[in-house]
Amino acid sequence: MRTRAFLAGAMLLVAGTAWAHHSGAGVDRTRTVTITGVVKEFRWTNPHSWIDLEVADAKGAPTVWSIEMNPPPYLIRSGWKASTLKPGDKVSVTLNPIRTGEPGGIFVSVTLADGRVLDGRGAGPRPPAPAAQ
Amino acid sequence: MIRRVAFACAAACVAAGAFIAAQAPAQPAPPEPTAALSRANLAKPRPKAPFDLTGVWLHGGGADNSFRFSPPAGFKLTPAAQVHYDAARKAQAENKVYRDDIGQCWPAGLPLIMTRVWPITMMQYPTVIYMISEFMNSLRIVYLDGRPHSDPDVVVPSWNGESIGRWEGDTLVVDTKYFTGHHHWVDSGVPASDALHIVERIKPLNDGNTLQIEYELTDPKSWEGTWKYTKRWRRVEDRDIAEVSCLPDLNDHMPTTKSGANVR
Repeated sequence: MRTRAFLAGAMLLVAGTAWAHHSGAGVDRTRTVTITGVVKEFRWTNPHSWIDLEVADAKGAPTVWSIEMNPPPYLIRSGWKASTLKPGDKVSVTLNPIRTGEPGGIFVSVTLADGRVLDGRGAGPRPPAPAAQ
Repeated sequence: MIRRVAFACAAACVAAGAFIAAQAPAQPAPPEPTAALSRANLAKPRPKAPFDLTGVWLHGGGADNSFRFSPPAGFKLTPAAQVHYDAARKAQAENKVYRDDIGQCWPAGLPLIMTRVWPITMMQYPTVIYMISEFMNSLRIVYLDGRPHSDPDVVVPSWNGESIGRWEGDTLVVDTKYFTGHHHWVDSGVPASDALHIVERIKPLNDGNTLQIEYELTDPKSWEGTWKYTKRWRRVEDRDIAEVSCLPDLNDHMPTTKSGANVR
């Protein structure tokens, strides 16, 4: 069981790195952070969709977190649509944070106002992995 | 009367036209139809291609099939390349990213564009294969019409280089050179130079559902010897590629590209 969990984690790590259009070395993939705030903007676009989420910091001041997502073809497989998030929506987002502590990270999942939880991995049907002859 | 004037005018115009034609320089001969998709080039008799790569291909999956072109065991870099490699390792040890030019919208270039894990659409004609990666819609052209590499004094260096393919039995052998070394990397901290030369041996496996490419990379300005890799792609039949552009305002919202963790 532990082995299976490790393998699943390793595959996620590889997939997350590979789908980025850049290196993910500055992101702490071993840690998740959940933040709650108000959607400032949600952009449904290639090569990455993204959310800007306004979150109150420790002193109550509004801070914008930039949250980087997979491209729409993957999000669609996870149940997303362009209309899933709108400015003003109050949501909770779980992400892998930037190591420097800057307000941002790579998207893991969202809990919408209606309670639905969506990830962004696009775990829809896939063709089998290629094999050597 | 009117009819007589009209006839005189018409005769004068014909005479003037003949005079102008006699005085005008001869028209240049039409250019040779050498373009890959010219009708004459496509119509030339050729042996039938052993296979057709037309389709959408996605790298990844399976054992020993990394998307990276990491230096092999025992590799030796040139002093100029070693500076970058050492800086990249230092950045990595500090959980930072060294010169992630792709994240700053520079083209990935060959070989990395082939394994970005974005689907690649390939369209094969008798004279040419067009490869369009969904990643930034990067275009790669492999000429199959028997042309040699271009004159090095006129070719424009590029990130995907100039690819010339030829059939060897059941394998397509593609020779690519004329790269730019400008913001072009083979792996983290391993620069590609204008001396990069790549040979690919391409063939389909598993009834055309798997594409295998064996790579040989040389770049005497960056490393010694030949680096070899074998990578595989799977055929994708349930999605098309889309328009994908890297934009400055996109990066404003990408914490991984604007973060202070990036070392320029």
